[in-house]
Amino acid sequence: MNERKLKKLFEAAWHEPLPAPSAGFAARVLQAIRRDQAAGSGPKTASIFDQLNLLFPRLAWAAVALIALCVAVNFVSPAADLPSLTDGVAQVSDQWLFTADGL
Amino acid sequence: MNDDAEVLERIRSGATDEFAELVQRHQAQVFAILSRYEHDHHRLEDLAQETFVKAWRSLGRFDGRAPFQHWLSKIAVRVAIDHLRRRKRSRNEIGLPELGEDALEWLRTDEGQSELEANQACELLEVAMRELSPAERLVITLQEIEGRSVKEISALTGSSGVAVRVRALRARTKLRKALGQLKQQENERTKAKETF
Repeated sequence: MNERKLKKLFEAAWHEPLPAPSAGFAARVLQAIRRDQAAGSGPKTASIFDQLNLLFPRLAWAAVALIALCVAVNFVSPAADLPSLTDGVAQVSDQWLFTADGL
Repeated sequence: MNDDAEVLERIRSGATDEFAELVQRHQAQVFAILSRYEHDHHRLEDLAQETFVKAWRSLGRFDGRAPFQHWLSKIAVRVAIDHLRRRKRSRNEIGLPELGEDALEWLRTDEGQSELEANQACELLEVAMRELSPAERLVITLQEIEGRSVKEISALTGSSGVAVRVRALRARTKLRKALGQLKQQENERTKAKETF
């Protein structure tokens, strides 16, 4: 059997008329869903993992953007004669978080 | 389809009956996919029903980023492959008696000069495709009979493009071999008839 003949066979099969659903198919699906609901397995709400999975690309981009912003500010602030972000953070931690007397 | 989003919103807020609207909109598409793998109408309806019930159960996971019909097609394809795997594979010899005379005549000719009706082509493919694995059958059907691209098949099946190409190639080789065997059997049968 060569490729051309196989192609012809596929082409002929492609023309097969598609079967239509019988009348009342949608109603039967709905009945099955009601039975499903009665059995207690209704539509599942997305689990925390599903939601995290959906949010992951956005969270990742937001984190990258935040890091880039912090790095940019750190480079720009000394040039503009503003207190450096690292100095500011060090000052805050000295004053509030890690004082000799503790909190 | 934007209307789908509205219907889905109503379903999510508790209007279960609205799901029938979605079934009516997309049933033709689901039947079109599944009918390539099951020819018995009752079993086909069961598979279509299974597809919609699975879609209903997973509605919470549908994020609306892709159109509803694409998401539903993926579920239908998964139902189809599960069906092919479940179906007891009858690994008996390829059965010539199952084929009509026109299909056998077409098989005998070298270049397939005679025209083959769609239903006979499907019968012939059905018999030859018994030699394929469910995944190979799925890929070659989606590619050659439904006319989908590798990218589309990859999205529907969750396989990589390379895997789709490899399966399609393997399926083609196996199909050519199976059809060649059928032709050989038919030629032997014809010769035996002439000898009598």
